[in-house]
Amino acid sequence: MLAIYKKELRGYFTSFLGYLFLSFLLIFVGIYQYVYNFRMEYANFAYAVSGISTFFLLLVPMLTMRVLAEEKRQKTDQLIFTAPVSVTRVILGKYLALISVFAVGMLIVCVYPLVLRNYGDTNLSIAYSTILAFFLLGCTYMAIGMFISSITESQVFAAVMTFVVILFTWLIDLVIEMLPTDHLTAYFVLLGCAAVIAVVLYLLMKSVLVSGLALLLGGGALTALLFAEPELLDGSLERVFGWISLLARFENFKYGIFEGSAYFYYLTLTFLFVFLTIQAIKKRRWE
Amino acid sequence: MIQVRDLVKRYGDFCAVDHLSFAVEEGEILGFLGPNGAGKSTTMNMITGYLSATEGDVIINGHNIYDEPELAKRDIGYLPEIPPVYPDMRVKEYLSFAAELKGLPRSGRKEAVAAVMEAVKITHMQDKLIKHLSKGYRQRTGLAQALLGDPKVIILDEPTVGLDPAQIIEMRELIRRLAKGHTVILSSHILFEVNAVCDRILIINHGKKVVIDTPEAIVSMLGGTEGVHLGVKASEEQAAGVLSSVPEVEHFAKEAEEEKKPSDPLVRFAVYAKPEADVRESLFYAFAKAGYPIYEMRPISRSLEEVFIAVTREEKDAGDL
Repeated sequence: MLAIYKKELRGYFTSFLGYLFLSFLLIFVGIYQYVYNFRMEYANFAYAVSGISTFFLLLVPMLTMRVLAEEKRQKTDQLIFTAPVSVTRVILGKYLALISVFAVGMLIVCVYPLVLRNYGDTNLSIAYSTILAFFLLGCTYMAIGMFISSITESQVFAAVMTFVVILFTWLIDLVIEMLPTDHLTAYFVLLGCAAVIAVVLYLLMKSVLVSGLALLLGGGALTALLFAEPELLDGSLERVFGWISLLARFENFKYGIFEGSAYFYYLTLTFLFVFLTIQAIKKRRWE
Repeated sequence: MIQVRDLVKRYGDFCAVDHLSFAVEEGEILGFLGPNGAGKSTTMNMITGYLSATEGDVIINGHNIYDEPELAKRDIGYLPEIPPVYPDMRVKEYLSFAAELKGLPRSGRKEAVAAVMEAVKITHMQDKLIKHLSKGYRQRTGLAQALLGDPKVIILDEPTVGLDPAQIIEMRELIRRLAKGHTVILSSHILFEVNAVCDRILIINHGKKVVIDTPEAIVSMLGGTEGVHLGVKASEEQAAGVLSSVPEVEHFAKEAEEEKKPSDPLVRFAVYAKPEADVRESLFYAFAKAGYPIYEMRPISRSLEEVFIAVTREEKDAGDL
């Protein structure tokens, strides 16, 4: 694991990629700090950090697109996966290297609030809890990016897909606000979701039984709910889509609302996508 | 040392490797032959644990590659068809990474890297970026990687593809040197190469084992009768008359004369002997007695090429039926 970690980290800092990522990150945090804290004179550094959360759209694909896709294209995965190292360790090594690069940037960002303190009162606990949330949000996005990189051998495809997925998690908040809250619409939309899940299951497992069962169970449960307790479906779309809203949880931090559950949420998603990456790589060997 | 049992790999309906079984003894070099697309690389990828098998087992030095992958992989050095090198790394940097990845102890890593670079003669290239290397040097860098840690089993997938003739000879020398103290599986579709270095040959076609034996046995298996090419200064009728009088001759046929110059007085025959018989001496005396001097006589050798074409064609015919 250490071998992969060191190799990856060296790779980021011997090519321009790591420097590009870091300078991009630091320059934008700097600009936002200048605008929010120095020009508009907000005393809250969290505004500057949350301002650049949209730049994950560019920052994350930049770093994650090549992480596994390139190994596959170059066939160097034949070296890595025939070495006496487990897939889990390889992926963990790669993921830790990714977030290490990000962590270097965030450690430098940690100095910024201290600079701000020189010019007046600022709430450091809000600043640092937001920075931590921002870091974890980034880690989640990178796990998603790594997962996408693991299912393709084209860097361009990986980058575009990662961009689209992050954009989706960003737009979902706007969509949620516009969603109808009545139970009938919720029923049909959720039924559609169950159908999509069934199709995905079929594509993954090629088993009519499993996907049919999933569709039957999901559809049955929803229909039962519709007739038994329709009020439970009221506003359920908002709740369901709220589960995948990564940014909504982050926005609270800048108002000084500290939510430990948000950290937990990010860690869970990160864990899930690292796990999915490992499974995707293992599955590839079975195809 | 290597045991492959009932190995199957299916991609959907397509069966790339079909119930393949064989064993390789310690210190043996096994040549792995087959036309393109026969399933050679797939089999090698399964033996090394890169791909999983649909069915069957691979046991390396007592460890099953699927049950104890880390133990089994420790004993394997693998050079895939395309050398798994990072273009943006320097040769020495790459080999140091590979050494660490393979879990070589920290203290011996430097020496191990230096030793493999010496073995494949790339020491003078150690500080070059791999993307600046020629195909031959990349191949050698890949081979150096496979040799790291002195694994008991070395698996080479078409190690000479894309090399120029001088490099091919060097690579072959290298493989022959490796053979001392290692178990080697070497795939190729160049028969001469396999014939030159291998103890035994495994021929596969359409993912199935066609034959596994020593090169000599495979040739003789199809060999049948021995024969000679004969060039005699006589007319066709005269020579045919003498040939039919020699008891050891099974049959003979006049050879094609596309390149025959008008001034060439020789008539040429392919003469086949009866089983276990040597026709050469009898031919010499028979033609000497008849007064027709023999100008040329050389054995008809059945090469591995003919065998290969024959066995893979038989398979194809059988498959078409």
